[in-house]
Amino acid sequence: MSSLFGSLAIATGALGADQGAMDATTNNVANANTPGYSRLVPVLVQSDPVVIGNVTYGEGVVLQQLRSVRDPILQLRIENETQQQGQLNTVVSAMQQAQVQFTSSSSDIGSEISNLFSSLNQLSTDPTNASLRQSVLAAAGNLSTVFNNTSNALSQQRTNLDLNVSQTVQQVNTLSAQIAGLNTNISQLEGVGQDASAFEDQRDVAIGQLSNLIGVSTIQSDNSLTLTTGNGSPLVVGGQSFNLSTQSNASGFQDVYSQGQDITSKLTSGELGGLVQVRDQTIPGVISNLDTLASGLANAMNAANAKGFDLYGNPGGNIFVPPAGTGQGYAATMAVAITDPSLIAASSDGTQGSNGNIAVLTAVENQNVAGGQTPTDYYSNIVANVGNDVANATAELSSTQLALNQLQDQLGSVSGVSLDEEAANMVQYQRAYDAAANVVTTINDMIYTAINMSTLTV
Amino acid sequence: MSSIRVNPFPMPDLLAAVEQLQRQQSNATLELATGSSINKPSDNPEGAAQLVKLSDLSSQLDSFQHSVSAISGQFSTADATLSSVVTVLQRAITLGTEGANGTLSDADRQAIVVELTGIQSQLLSLANTSYQGQYIFSGTSTTQPFVLDPTQTSGVRYTGNSGINDVTIGAGYQLQVNVPGSQVFNGAADTFLAINNLITSMESNTGIGTAVTNVGNALTYISGQQAFYGNAINQTQSQQTYLSAQSVGLAQQQNTIGAADLTAVASQLALDQTSQTAALEAIGKMPQTSLFDYLK
Repeated sequence: MSSLFGSLAIATGALGADQGAMDATTNNVANANTPGYSRLVPVLVQSDPVVIGNVTYGEGVVLQQLRSVRDPILQLRIENETQQQGQLNTVVSAMQQAQVQFTSSSSDIGSEISNLFSSLNQLSTDPTNASLRQSVLAAAGNLSTVFNNTSNALSQQRTNLDLNVSQTVQQVNTLSAQIAGLNTNISQLEGVGQDASAFEDQRDVAIGQLSNLIGVSTIQSDNSLTLTTGNGSPLVVGGQSFNLSTQSNASGFQDVYSQGQDITSKLTSGELGGLVQVRDQTIPGVISNLDTLASGLANAMNAANAKGFDLYGNPGGNIFVPPAGTGQGYAATMAVAITDPSLIAASSDGTQGSNGNIAVLTAVENQNVAGGQTPTDYYSNIVANVGNDVANATAELSSTQLALNQLQDQLGSVSGVSLDEEAANMVQYQRAYDAAANVVTTINDMIYTAINMSTLTV
Repeated sequence: MSSIRVNPFPMPDLLAAVEQLQRQQSNATLELATGSSINKPSDNPEGAAQLVKLSDLSSQLDSFQHSVSAISGQFSTADATLSSVVTVLQRAITLGTEGANGTLSDADRQAIVVELTGIQSQLLSLANTSYQGQYIFSGTSTTQPFVLDPTQTSGVRYTGNSGINDVTIGAGYQLQVNVPGSQVFNGAADTFLAINNLITSMESNTGIGTAVTNVGNALTYISGQQAFYGNAINQTQSQQTYLSAQSVGLAQQQNTIGAADLTAVASQLALDQTSQTAALEAIGKMPQTSLFDYLK
């Protein structure tokens, strides 16, 4: 059979549960704008009933826990998209800088190639004219300079990206250490059955930041979490973090090492993946194309000049300093070999007034000097490739951003704090508290009545 | 709770939309300002590559046009020079015909000889005409092509060569720009020899008629040579017209690929501006209040 004191205990329990629930609401409202915060919901359950005789008596309410509402799958997808976004962002911003070199202008490589052949055409109308000869030399000089500048600007960009690689590795290490620390806190709290949601929220934020920097795989067990790079090198295992390090490679750039292993080429996502991709593949590819074009053009012009005779009646020499070997690195060093305009071999027979060899020189414009293509066609392909690199990465980036926005919207709808909801909850808990308190008062009255019953009857 | 919750903080989404609209507007403004839809290779990679090729073609056309006007001057000078040669030779024929008249005294013929000698040096000077420092009739030699030389029967020696220059004035179109002096003046009919013979005949008063006929032949021959330059002038003129038409066509092609569609861009810009205003208004009108405000 039930007792008044039993009822009093139930009512007091309800007061406690409502206070606890109110605490969740308070915390939610307080953290409404905290990044990464997952809202808390009070988990209220009925106490186990007591059966006395035929009657089952309810034993009130218990606040089992304040549960934070999260969606680990959604969180993982956000991490994946964030890795993509980090990589694409880096590629886009680096290649946007690179494509400036290939933006059409009156002094880009394409224009300077045209100018060289135009100046030769002019010379053909008056092959002994000193100023026309001088302008051919000047055009050749301008062409060399624009090749030098373009190649050097791209190399400089590689150097800047390299600096970013070292900095990003440091940030990765800082975040790994933070996450390992949070892992320790979480497992300690959960080990003694306590709620670690505050630390879990912080850890989610840190993992999000880490995902932006480097591609990570997350393996979550009961109360521990392991993070590895895309290729399986450990970053965080439970409470321990593993630092990445950098070492200079043969070309003077920083390679990324994990546990003594070079993982540079395995980095494919996150900012680090983007940096390495542009630094080691995209930009070197463009520079190498420039080298092919510059050396092919220089060789062809030299060969054409050698077929004729200069103003002194001697066989033509080199116009450009000849490229060494396969021409690797030539775009950066291309230079005109002569300063005397008379050395341009316009004549085909050694007589000064002959212009017969100029046709040979201008024919280079239509020769397949680089990669089986004419100089202008080859250059136009470089422009198209660089443009495509930027355009494709930009398109991917905006679709990734769209996906990320949607996922974050979804996560917000699961874990975000709604002030309306919290206000309604507050009213609800307040009223419940009021009611429970009234019950206490009523029971108190009843107990009073019971205590004074004897005086009434006697 | 059964209903699906709404994200209570849609702000980042809305801001991303506004940012996207701003990006579009700044692109559109750039297109309007430059009049070009390809302001960097990534705007249209294939188009940018096409423009590189077209710009090379256009620079080639420019240089062909330059070449055409440069050689036109040379052609006109050569043409005018040969016209003068013809005039001078006509005068020589007139003088020769007068001299052939048996009624003339020795003194009269001597006066004709003096004038013919003048014509001889005039011809020499015409044959040595230069254009912008380059002798027109020296072949590809740069030395003065005709010099006096008493050891020659014509009294004049050709020191130039038989070299010929071609100038490219169109894709695959090469035009011969000179005729060597040896061909013009010492070809099938030798001008200097004809004049020299006329002077000798006049002095000796023998065979003047034949000498005059030979000068006539030389004149006919020179006129034939002049036709080369007349032809060349016609060719440069029609090529000039062709190149201009090509330039116009090329510019149209460049426009088709690279020019911004101003009407479309401007209306898109207006649309984007409206959308942005709407988005900002929407953000501004997002509930500033929550249920808390009504629980007082």
